Amino acid sequence: MGETGAYDVVVIGAGIVGAMIARELSKIEGRFALLEKKAFPCFGMSKAGLSQIHLPDFCPPGSLKGRLCKDAPSRFRMLAGELDVAYREVGELWVALEPEQVANLEAAKTRGECHGAKGYEMIGPERIREIEPHVTPKAVAGLYARGLGVVYVPEWGFALVENAVQNGLHLHLQTSVSGIERENGSYRLFTSRGTITGKFLVNAAGIHSDEIARMIGDRDIRLDLRKGTMLIFDKAVSHLVHNMIYGTFSERHSQDIAPTAHGNLILGVHYVRPEHKEDRKVTRQDILETVKLGKELIPVLSEKEVINSFSGILPSNNRAPNGDFYIAPSEQAPGVIHVLVGAPGLTAAPGIADLVVRLLRDQGMMKEEKKSFQKTRAGWPRFESATLPEKLRIVGQNPKYGHVLCRCEQVTEAEILEAIRRGADTMDGVKHLTRAGMGRCQGSFCSIPVLNALVKELGVAPTWVTKNGAGSHQIVGYTKEAAMARGPGE
Amino acid sequence: MMRTSHIDLAVIGAGPAGLAAAVEAKHLGVKDLVVFERDERPGGILRQCIHAGFGLEKFNEELTGPEYANRYIKMAESWGIDISLDTTVLDIDKNRTLTVVSEQGGLRQVACKSVILAMGCRERPRGALGIPGTRPAGVFTAGHAQRLINVEGYMPGRTVVILGSGDIGLIMARRLTLEGAQVKAVAEILPYASGLIRNVVQCLNDFAIPLLLRHTVAEIHGDRRVEGVTLVQVDDRWNPVEGTEQFIECDTLLLSVGLIPENELSKAAGVMIDPKTGGAYVSDYFESGVEGLFSCGNVLHVNDVVDNVSLEGESAAYGAFRRIKGLPAESSVISIEGDETIGQIVPQRITGLRDVTFHLRVKRPMKKFILQVGDRFEKKYPYARPSEMIWVKVPGDIFRDVRGSIIVHCEETS
Repeated sequence: MGETGAYDVVVIGAGIVGAMIARELSKIEGRFALLEKKAFPCFGMSKAGLSQIHLPDFCPPGSLKGRLCKDAPSRFRMLAGELDVAYREVGELWVALEPEQVANLEAAKTRGECHGAKGYEMIGPERIREIEPHVTPKAVAGLYARGLGVVYVPEWGFALVENAVQNGLHLHLQTSVSGIERENGSYRLFTSRGTITGKFLVNAAGIHSDEIARMIGDRDIRLDLRKGTMLIFDKAVSHLVHNMIYGTFSERHSQDIAPTAHGNLILGVHYVRPEHKEDRKVTRQDILETVKLGKELIPVLSEKEVINSFSGILPSNNRAPNGDFYIAPSEQAPGVIHVLVGAPGLTAAPGIADLVVRLLRDQGMMKEEKKSFQKTRAGWPRFESATLPEKLRIVGQNPKYGHVLCRCEQVTEAEILEAIRRGADTMDGVKHLTRAGMGRCQGSFCSIPVLNALVKELGVAPTWVTKNGAGSHQIVGYTKEAAMARGPGE
Repeated sequence: MMRTSHIDLAVIGAGPAGLAAAVEAKHLGVKDLVVFERDERPGGILRQCIHAGFGLEKFNEELTGPEYANRYIKMAESWGIDISLDTTVLDIDKNRTLTVVSEQGGLRQVACKSVILAMGCRERPRGALGIPGTRPAGVFTAGHAQRLINVEGYMPGRTVVILGSGDIGLIMARRLTLEGAQVKAVAEILPYASGLIRNVVQCLNDFAIPLLLRHTVAEIHGDRRVEGVTLVQVDDRWNPVEGTEQFIECDTLLLSVGLIPENELSKAAGVMIDPKTGGAYVSDYFESGVEGLFSCGNVLHVNDVVDNVSLEGESAAYGAFRRIKGLPAESSVISIEGDETIGQIVPQRITGLRDVTFHLRVKRPMKKFILQVGDRFEKKYPYARPSEMIWVKVPGDIFRDVRGSIIVHCEETS
C-alpha cells in the first residue's frame, strides 16, 4: 500500500478490468493509484463469475466488446507466462437440443468468425459423444472449437496488481470513494482513508460505476443489473465434463458448464433481478433452476455433488446499444474515462486496458514508456498441482511445503505463509490465493490453522482477523478460561 | 529419487480407531508398524470432545474425550509405537504403497504389507446443503466450532442458532450456553432428533433450548457477519410450508447436519464405497475390496459411541495381522444385504466361518420389532431409531451351507 498524495491517474476499482488497466499504466512513467473498496483485488463481481476467456462468438458483429475480445486467448496465454499464473485451455462445445436450435449454432459461428476466431466445426451427435460422452442424447448438433481459456480470477487480479506495484503502482485497499471534486485541473477524491488527488480518473468501479459517474457530474449513466447463480461441484464428478459445454441463453439464463482452472466443474447461470446492488443472496429456487440448466446438458449430474453455490451481478449500461460496452471519456468532466462493461469483461480485459490507456493519452496523459518496467512477476510453487519430482524438489528447498494444512486441496503451510507475506490479511484473502478452504470440506478443518497463521504472521489478536474485511470477524472473543489466561485488555 | 521404506503395517489416522488398531496389532505381534497422523497431536476428534460419556463400554468408567484418547496414547507409548505426527498421506496405490509428506521427514514412499484406513469423517458444509442466503462470516460446522472453543479457546459467536440435531450440534448447544452464549434454537428437518436421546435431554432440555422439529433454515441474513436466520417449517417432502417463516436474530449459525466418511484416499487405492455407509464394503475382518487394505471407525461408517470405534480398530488389526503373517486366506462367500427397513449394515460380506457382529442402523424409527438375518437368526427389540447403531452378534454356525446372499430385515410386530 502506498502513501496517499497526488497522482497522475487514479483507477477506481480493482476488479479484473481495473487490475489490468493498472498493470498497463505501470508500464508508463508517472504516479498511478488503484483504489479498491474491498479487502483484496477482484473480491467483488470479478470473483463471482464463470472465469472463462471466451471465444468472441457471444459478441454481436460490429460491437465494441467483440473488437476488444479479439485474440483474447493468446493475450491471456502470454500474460500467464509473464505473471506466472495458471491458465488452462479447453474446447468450447455449443450443443443444440432441438433442430430449431441449430440456427443458433450457425449464428454463433458467424459471430465468432467475424471477430477473427477460426477453427469452428459443425458436428453431429456421434462426434459430440466422442468429445463429451455424458452430454444428453437429445443433442442433435454441436459447434466445436478449441482455445477457450479458464483462469482463477482472484489469482490473476492479485498477480496483475502485484506486478503493477512492483513497477510503482500505489494500491489502496478497503478504500471507498464517497465524493469527487474538481480543483485546479485535478480531481480530489474523498475516500474512507483520506483524500486522494489525481489529474486523470478511470472509472472502473463495476456495478458502482454509475455512482462514481454521478460524483463527477455524469448523472444520466444507468446500469441494469442481473444476478446470476453458479454452482461448484466436487472433483469426484469432474470426469463428466472436459470442455465448456454451452446450451442456450436468454434474459433469464446462460446455460454453461465447464471445468474450472482448478479442476472442479462450474455450472451456471440462472439470472434474476437483484433486490439491490449488494444482493448476493442465493435462493433455493435459484439453486434448483441452476441444477435444471445443468441436467438438461448433462443428465447424470447430481445436485448431491454440489460443494458450493454463489451469485454474481452482471451489469449492462444505458450508454451503448444492445448490451455493448461503453468505454469513453466523460462528456462532462475532462480527463475521466468511463469503463462501463459487463460480460465478457474478463475476456476483454486486456483489450479494455489498451483502449483505456489510448484514451488517456488522447486526453493528454504523458506517454513516456517506463524503461525500468519489469514485466515478469514470480508466483510461488503450488504443492497440489506439482508433479512428484517437483514436489520432492520444493519440499527439499522449503520443508514447510511438507506440512499440509488444507487436506482437501493439499495446500501447505509454505503456501499459506507466502500468501500472507504478500499481502493476504483476511481469511478469504488466504483462501483465494492458496485454495485453502475451497475444497469439499469448505474449510471445516483448515480455517483454524489459517486463522492462527494470520495471527502469528501479522502479530494481531485472533479477534482482529476477518473473513473479508471490516465487520466480518471470524471469532468474537475468548472462552472464560482462555480470557483469564490472556489477562485483561484483550 | 524418492526414498521408499518397507514396513508391515501402516495405520492412517491416530484417532480412536487408528490408535486401537495400532495397539492391538502390536499386541498381536506386528513389529514394524507406523501410525500416520496429519494433526500435531494424536487423539483425533476426541481431543476436542471435552465432555464426559466416553469409555463406559471399553473401560467401564465415564471418561472425557481427551482422557479416553490418553488411555490409548499411553498404551501406544508403552508399546513403543511410532506415531508420525503432522504427516499427510497423499496417496495410496493398489499395491499398498503410500506417498507420505511431512515437514520433518520430507516426501517419501512407504511400501506396506497391510494398511489400516482410519481417517475418520468430515462434516457436511454449508455449500453441500445449498442453504440459501448471503455469505457472511459466522457460519460454522458444529465440530469446527467445538475445536475453536475447546482447543483454541475462541468464541465463535454470542447468539447462536444450530441447524441439525446431530450429537455434535446438541453437545455444542450446551457448551456454548456454559460459555455464556445464547443458543436460541436447534432446528431439525426430520420429525425426530438425529442425535442420541440422552444428548437431547442433557444438552437441550436441561437448558431450556427449544428443539424445532420439521424446521430448516430458509435463509441466512447479514452482509459481513451473520445478522440472523429465517427458520421455516417443512412438510413431509421437506418443502417449506409457506407462512411459517420466522426471523431469528443471531450472529452465528452452526451446522450439525451429517458426517461424511473421508474416503478420498481409499477411493484412490481402488476401494469400492457402499453408498449407504459412505465407507468401504468390508468383510468380517474389516478388509475392503482391495486385498490388504482394512477400514475401521468413522471412515468405514459413522459411529455414535467411541468404544465401538475402538473395537472395530481391534478387529481390523486382527485382519491385518492375518494378512501380514500370511495365514490362509478365507474367502467371504456370503454377501449381506439390508432390505428397505435397514438404513445401513456392516460388514457387507462374511466368511460364515465364525461368529460375526453386525453393525446396523434402521431406516426409520421403529417400535417392537424382530431383527431377522435370513430365516436363520432373529432377535427381538423394543424399539430402534436411526440415530442409534445396533450391534448384534450372530453365531457363526447359522451360516453353515449358506452361499450367495442373506437378507437382513426388521419385522414390526405391533
